[in-house]
Amino acid sequence: MISLENITKSFGNSNAVSNVSFSVPEGSFLVLLGPSGCGKSTMLRMLAGLDQPTSGKMQFGDTLVADGNTGHSLPPADRNAGLVFQSYALWPHMTVAGNIEWPLKVAKLPTEERRARVLEVMEMLGIEKLANRYPGEISGGQQQRVALARMIAPRPKVMLFDEPLSNLDATLRVEMRFELLKVHAATGATAVYVTHDQVEAMTMATHVAVMNNGRIEQFDAPDRLLAEPASAFVAGFVGTPAANLIPIENGKWFGTMPDPLLRDQSGHAMVRAEQITVADEDGPRTFEAVLAEVVPMAGRFLVTGIAHGIRITAVSDQVARPSGKLRFRLPSAPAAIFDKQGTRIS
Amino acid sequence: MTTLLGPIGSALNKRGLTLAMALALVVLVAAPLATILVQTLYPSSAAWGDVLASRLSQNLFWRPTINTMIIGLGVAAGCVLLGGFLAWLVVMTDIPGRPAIAFMATLPFMIPSFATALAWGTVFRNGRVGGGGGLLEGLGFAVPDWLSWGMTPTIVVLIAHYYSLAFTVIAAALATVNGDLVEAAQMTGASRKRILFGIVLPVVTPAIIAGGSLAFAGAVSNFAAPALLGLPVRMQTLSTRLFGMIEIGQTERGYVLAILLIGISAIFLGLGNRMLSGRRSFATIGGKGAKPRCFALGGARLPLTMAAWVICILTTILPILLLVAASLAPSSLSLFSDWTLHYWIGSSDPAFARGQPGIFHNPLLLSALTTTLILGASVALAANIIGILIAVALTRQKVPVLSNLVSQLSFLPMLLPGIAFAAAYIALYGAPIGPLPALYGTKLLLALALTAAMLPFAVQTGRATVSQISGDIDEAARMTGAGFFRRLGAITLPLAARGLAAGLLITFVNVIGDLAITILLYTPTSPLLAVLSYSYASDGFHQFANAVTLVILIISMLATGAATLLRGRRRQSFT
Repeated sequence: MISLENITKSFGNSNAVSNVSFSVPEGSFLVLLGPSGCGKSTMLRMLAGLDQPTSGKMQFGDTLVADGNTGHSLPPADRNAGLVFQSYALWPHMTVAGNIEWPLKVAKLPTEERRARVLEVMEMLGIEKLANRYPGEISGGQQQRVALARMIAPRPKVMLFDEPLSNLDATLRVEMRFELLKVHAATGATAVYVTHDQVEAMTMATHVAVMNNGRIEQFDAPDRLLAEPASAFVAGFVGTPAANLIPIENGKWFGTMPDPLLRDQSGHAMVRAEQITVADEDGPRTFEAVLAEVVPMAGRFLVTGIAHGIRITAVSDQVARPSGKLRFRLPSAPAAIFDKQGTRIS
Repeated sequence: MTTLLGPIGSALNKRGLTLAMALALVVLVAAPLATILVQTLYPSSAAWGDVLASRLSQNLFWRPTINTMIIGLGVAAGCVLLGGFLAWLVVMTDIPGRPAIAFMATLPFMIPSFATALAWGTVFRNGRVGGGGGLLEGLGFAVPDWLSWGMTPTIVVLIAHYYSLAFTVIAAALATVNGDLVEAAQMTGASRKRILFGIVLPVVTPAIIAGGSLAFAGAVSNFAAPALLGLPVRMQTLSTRLFGMIEIGQTERGYVLAILLIGISAIFLGLGNRMLSGRRSFATIGGKGAKPRCFALGGARLPLTMAAWVICILTTILPILLLVAASLAPSSLSLFSDWTLHYWIGSSDPAFARGQPGIFHNPLLLSALTTTLILGASVALAANIIGILIAVALTRQKVPVLSNLVSQLSFLPMLLPGIAFAAAYIALYGAPIGPLPALYGTKLLLALALTAAMLPFAVQTGRATVSQISGDIDEAARMTGAGFFRRLGAITLPLAARGLAAGLLITFVNVIGDLAITILLYTPTSPLLAVLSYSYASDGFHQFANAVTLVILIISMLATGAATLLRGRRRQSFT
């Protein structure tokens, strides 16, 4: 449905997005995930048609919507796409119903049809009681629902979201995640969702593009990101808790503990928290750490300690000794090894 | 309260400060206003009949009122158009040099309106009322009366003065609609025109109304422009009529006119307010996506850039240059020849300018200069101290009724035309009150009136300062155990100093450029610069008037420049 071919966007001399290619089928939920400044919002704006790519092609289905090489670009409204802004961008001088109806008026829908659509989406999002209120009079979570309703009322084939949940508190965020998925399922449209929150990516996406410095580090299904991270960046960015990346030097953990399994490699070894155990006494592949924190989670404990200046997290069934010191035991084999550039070796 | 202010807090009891401020405001603001009302009704209310319903009323009230309304509406419309146009260019388009245009567009308000009026005269004056023609007549054009004097020049000059107000307000509103709100509309496929009329205009309408009503209130109460450009051809407005009545001793009639002028100004500001409060609050939520998007002007870029710069230069630099030339040229017909410094430093010569010496030989000028500077500085200081105290009282002590009274009274002078306010001061303090001597004709009265008039602005500055003192920042310092004075010195003052200093300077500029209040209250023995310039001009000594005006302008520009520097640097380093 959406396919990108070598999309690049430059501002002056620097590339905000470099050479990005991917495609997702119709009805999928694509999350663009990455830290701030990684180019994900620029990607979204290009998909929306608010920015134009410097080079590369972008297709929605069979329609070429933008071609940076020829300068061709379909205006936003002709792309059959809707966008929910991070700030919601509700028009403050229109009521809730007015906000939802305006795009339909612009699209010249007959009055009856407009009324029916407005009612339908308001019911879908449970905001029909707010119809005559103004955006300034309703809460942040309600504004979010109105923005969502306004976006889906014209029934776009592509739904775009720019960090829509970042202005909400934690409880509302969980509730809205579910709401968004419901809307996605009900409309069957293809969604592209920008976020820096890997939990949102893991819970909502069918496809995730992890972005860093304007490039795609990995394009995969959420579970594949966890199971087979393509780079050290991905390994350290996804997962709750994220996997430990332990520096290795010439086949030695931390450059000090030799281990034949590391095969003389240098770089980082990925060790998941559930592979590390809290050891009672000294032994092979154990090391000392200073206790940093213990987080109770689902009946178990995430124990974090600091060794050689690195935070190491393990999953444990019992609370660590309160002495301030503890001992971790490494597994017999790391889950993955990355070289100094962060590229996966094994 | 006690813990917050330490020793000072315990010295004042819980309501002391609010009570003291309420008293001060009653003396400074409420009492004079009450007095003019009483004096026009008691012992006799004949003045009301004279003004409103007698053979004289056509000339006393109705014609000046019609003129005043035409000026007010014309200026409001012109300011919204001009200020709105520049605001649109600066906020929403890719016009080159936007920061420079934005800066230039805020300057005209700092140039006293009598300076712009005098500059108009140097170009468009014709010989009809004596004193020689202006530049255009010198070039051989016959300048018609309507362009030289009266309504048209008054409106144009006042637009050139007040459009900055509309610009500032509208630009701020446009900045909030720009970005996501417009992009959300673009996503729907709405045309540019539809976005403009469906989204942008409705969202900035409150700002347009606010900008327009501020310009209206300013224009109807302005004295300098109609006095310099209208009086020579007997065009009267309420403010010039009011001045005339008091000057010839018909004070009751003057007071009635003052009340009516306040009424007209208040009705329109009230209407504006009403339209605003009927609307929803248009606060929009910020997000990182809300960065301004500028749309490309394309082929219109060059002409629009030219237009913007022409407006800015015509209303700022050009009037100043014209005044400079006109203060040097012996003949107002040829501004750029035979320049002489006589009008500045020449000694008395019977063959030249009827024996009038240059302004720096005029003993009145030097005394006017010192009086103006001292008065400006002391009023700025007094107003800002009271402003801070009021701000403290309003934020720290919530006393029912009294707090509300303080807040309302401190903003009342904003709605009061300066000349009407001055008339009220004459009414109350012109005669002895009990053991207190009459203050009329003393500098103290002038200082009191100016202080009261500057209060609204000073309270704003004070509130900004106090919000620094009372916020998290101060609490963070309190947690360390630092005492009140230590915090004042180490946290509050360093943070607030620049803003306070800038506030002081702006008040100072407003005081030295004021003519509406000073023209009624100055002391004949030591007038102020603005009054001196006005009396030179009304005696036909234009070169001298221009020279004195330039002195005021130079002081104003230095102070404004310093204030801008203080504010600008502060913004960079703290946000």
